[in-house]
Amino acid sequence: MSPSETLERELRAAKPAAPAALRERIRTIAAEEPQRETFLQRLSLRRFVLVAAPATVAVALLTAGVIGLTGSPSDDPVVFAEGGGSEGAEPKTLEATREAAPAQDSMEESAVPPAAGAVEPTPGRLQRYDAQLQLQVDGVDELSSATQQAMRITRSLGGTVSSVSYDAPSQGVGSAQLTLRVPVARVQSAIVQLSGLGTILGQRYGIEDLQPAADDLAKQIADAQARIAQLRESLRNDDLTPVQRATLQAQLAETQRRLRDLRAALEGTRAEARLATIQLGLTTEEILPAPAEEDSALDGVVDVLRWEALALLYVLVVAGPFVAVGLLVWFLLRLRRRREEARLLAQT
Amino acid sequence: MTLSAHRAPAQPARSQSFAATAEAHLDDVYGYLVYMTRNPGLAEDLTADTFEKALRTWRHFDARRSSARTWLCQIARTTALDWFRSEERRQRREERAAAPERVDTVFVEGLSPELEAGLVSLSAGEREVIALRVLLELDGDEASRVLGISPTAVSTRLSRALKKLEERVVSHVAV
Repeated sequence: MSPSETLERELRAAKPAAPAALRERIRTIAAEEPQRETFLQRLSLRRFVLVAAPATVAVALLTAGVIGLTGSPSDDPVVFAEGGGSEGAEPKTLEATREAAPAQDSMEESAVPPAAGAVEPTPGRLQRYDAQLQLQVDGVDELSSATQQAMRITRSLGGTVSSVSYDAPSQGVGSAQLTLRVPVARVQSAIVQLSGLGTILGQRYGIEDLQPAADDLAKQIADAQARIAQLRESLRNDDLTPVQRATLQAQLAETQRRLRDLRAALEGTRAEARLATIQLGLTTEEILPAPAEEDSALDGVVDVLRWEALALLYVLVVAGPFVAVGLLVWFLLRLRRRREEARLLAQT
Repeated sequence: MTLSAHRAPAQPARSQSFAATAEAHLDDVYGYLVYMTRNPGLAEDLTADTFEKALRTWRHFDARRSSARTWLCQIARTTALDWFRSEERRQRREERAAAPERVDTVFVEGLSPELEAGLVSLSAGEREVIALRVLLELDGDEASRVLGISPTAVSTRLSRALKKLEERVVSHVAV
């Protein structure tokens, strides 16, 4: 047996035993059962991280899903379809076209797929009909040809070309904007023919009902006519004083003037309802097709996730230095504590 | 005889009550603190403090991470170190010139005078590792957990402590 083993044996044999008083003291302490811990006390840092980390990921994914799906472009009232175009052209989305569309808050708007055709005006009612059509043509030559063809189609249907803006540089993207006025009765035919000039990128239709306004004008005209008849009847009375006669004549003149205005307004409304306005846009630019609804939803989810990742990265970048300093301080304090402990334990 | 031959029996599981755990490991904790402080009276107080702390943190004890004995020894060590710190501050505050109180009384009954003297001449850190590895028969991993150092460092520290103790005992016998 080595000296060390002898020492160890002797040390074990003389192992200090707790005195009876201490044993009783510890029993008293141990008799107090630990208090029932609250939820927060049970929630140690490790447990908190174990719960919070998956919960955060779940919330992030759920948020991305909800925002991505509910914010998908499928709710957009404007339908764009059938993209594609010449090679080499810079692809872009149709946002610009969408934004360029005039506001038609008071109008009954409708967006239909190109295959479904345009919205038809209601026969027998006065309506203001507006249509916007965005077409893509293959090149500058086709752009010129399509522009001329659109003007021909308009005239052949009894319509007029209100304005034409044509921009076709030798290189780059060419475009043309036409404002066409076509009889409402032939607007369907016009849209069908115009749609054949290129690939439909987007279309928008708006109908505003003018019938109530026309009916109101007609009623005012009838009232004015009745008033005029009444005034003329009054003027036939020979007992009128000069002053009374002059007053009635003035009223008659005013009512007649108002009747003319009302008739002009009614005629204007009817004229407006007779002709539909078609905004035709032609472009040679390749425009990417709008993604399918499912793809859009997924893209929305991915976009939100991307933003969440960026936010997380931002937080890490901002908090990173503080965390690093905190870790350094913690490490230095730990080192200092260890040295202090070593010093204390080095004493006899 | 090797240390591994003196391994302690399997530690009680977390399902054991605190009272039973305290009863099972009271001697270990007390012995460890006696060796650290060389003062049985002080060791009693520190033992009581240790079990009070242990009772308060009993809900955090995880038997899968360490045995109850290791956990209690960790608390005992922290308690002893806190006392060493406060005692040092107290001495420094009260009288800087005064020499620290020496504890020369017999702190372990049943030891030969040579071995007792040898232990007294060791540092608290040396006695601590002897207490853990020899007296309490903790294995290297358990002792390293209590001391916060690697198992290799524990072995080295124990080896040096025993060698030093052996030398002191031999020299004391020679005198």
